[in-house]
Amino acid sequence: MINHEECPNKTDNELVKLSLDNPDHFLCLTRRYESKLLHYIMRLSKFRSEEASDILQDVFVKTYYNLNEFDDSLKFSSWIYRITHNQTISEIRKKSVRPSVPFEKEDIDRFEDALDISKEIDDSFDKEKINKALSLLDEKYREVLVLRFLDEKDYVEISDILKKPISTVGNLILRGKKLFKKEYEKLTYEK
Amino acid sequence: MKNKDISQMVLDRIKDTGIKPISKKIFNLKRVVVFSFIGFSIIVGAISFSVILSILTNNEWDLYNRFGVGFIFKTLPYFWFVCVLLLAILGDIYYRKTSRGHRPNTIIIVSAYIIATTVLGSMLHLIGLGDVVEESISQNIPVYHIFVFDKDEFWSNSKEGLISGRIILIKEKMLSIVDFNNNLWTINTENADILGNAKIQEGEIIKIIGDAGENNTFTAEEIRPWGQSKIHKNNFSEVVR
Repeated sequence: MINHEECPNKTDNELVKLSLDNPDHFLCLTRRYESKLLHYIMRLSKFRSEEASDILQDVFVKTYYNLNEFDDSLKFSSWIYRITHNQTISEIRKKSVRPSVPFEKEDIDRFEDALDISKEIDDSFDKEKINKALSLLDEKYREVLVLRFLDEKDYVEISDILKKPISTVGNLILRGKKLFKKEYEKLTYEK
Repeated sequence: MKNKDISQMVLDRIKDTGIKPISKKIFNLKRVVVFSFIGFSIIVGAISFSVILSILTNNEWDLYNRFGVGFIFKTLPYFWFVCVLLLAILGDIYYRKTSRGHRPNTIIIVSAYIIATTVLGSMLHLIGLGDVVEESISQNIPVYHIFVFDKDEFWSNSKEGLISGRIILIKEKMLSIVDFNNNLWTINTENADILGNAKIQEGEIIKIIGDAGENNTFTAEEIRPWGQSKIHKNNFSEVVR
């Protein structure tokens, strides 16, 4: 057994190396990422918490199995997000579910500020509108908007997660924002 | 389900099933294969580019005045341009398999590839590798002539006033040459301009522009050297002997 109190002092890369020697250290890594990744899976998919947990377990096992593939000159977070992204998309396609994004208050504020959209007094209405507008977007736009404005990843990280050129990520975000605003305004008008 | 359960369940699953990470050697081997393909595409692309330079620098651009624009298009090394393009695509595909390969877009990767092959290819051309490769392929791979401008065929057209061959005899202003089809020609060089570094001596291969007469006689207007190549795919030995 290892002393898990030491985990916060270790970097991701150090924990990867330690995990290769002793799987107990892998627990430090999984605990560090499980909450973020669970939310990410749920934002990308319509899966409930239990289904998202199952996907996350598979993600962690796959991560451990391929731990030697990790290039320590890159960010571990981008790598594990990428595995999570692929696994989630694969599950979405298998189950043919239409993604929907669970929001919290901070998510709504972040989204509204970043996209410069008018705020409603009632957060629940904002949440519903953002949710609907996002679900109407094509997958390629939705995934970059989620990563950029909800998971707060920079362009390089998004490029590493989605394995798309940085310039493409920039264009998708720009176009995605426009499309999102269009859908959002349409929903406001319909109200 | 609480988060801590997921992590603990994963650890238990790893221990219970005895899952071990795939060996680093496997991933290193994959990287070696990927970088080998990238290296291969750059090196072969550079060699192809040196052949392009060799063909273009050996090209007789002044003949375009005589034969028109069609001649320009006929003599361009399309085969080698296609080779460089295909190798650039191969390089792009394999570069994308590296850990950072997805970051730049295709235009940047292909531009970087073209710069690398241009610089390296120019250096190879300067040391004469382009000529050697072109000659070697020309002599050893018969189908190669289908894909490139066939210089032999172009310079074996007496009706159009174009012949070529090896000098076997020099007698005052008259030359005897044997062409690539082993025909013997008597050439009158009295009013001929001798261009470039054409050497009028036995054993040399030359190209001649002029007018064909009867009985394999030819009045030369211009005599040109065959090119940088000292080797030719045709064997003259029997006639020369």
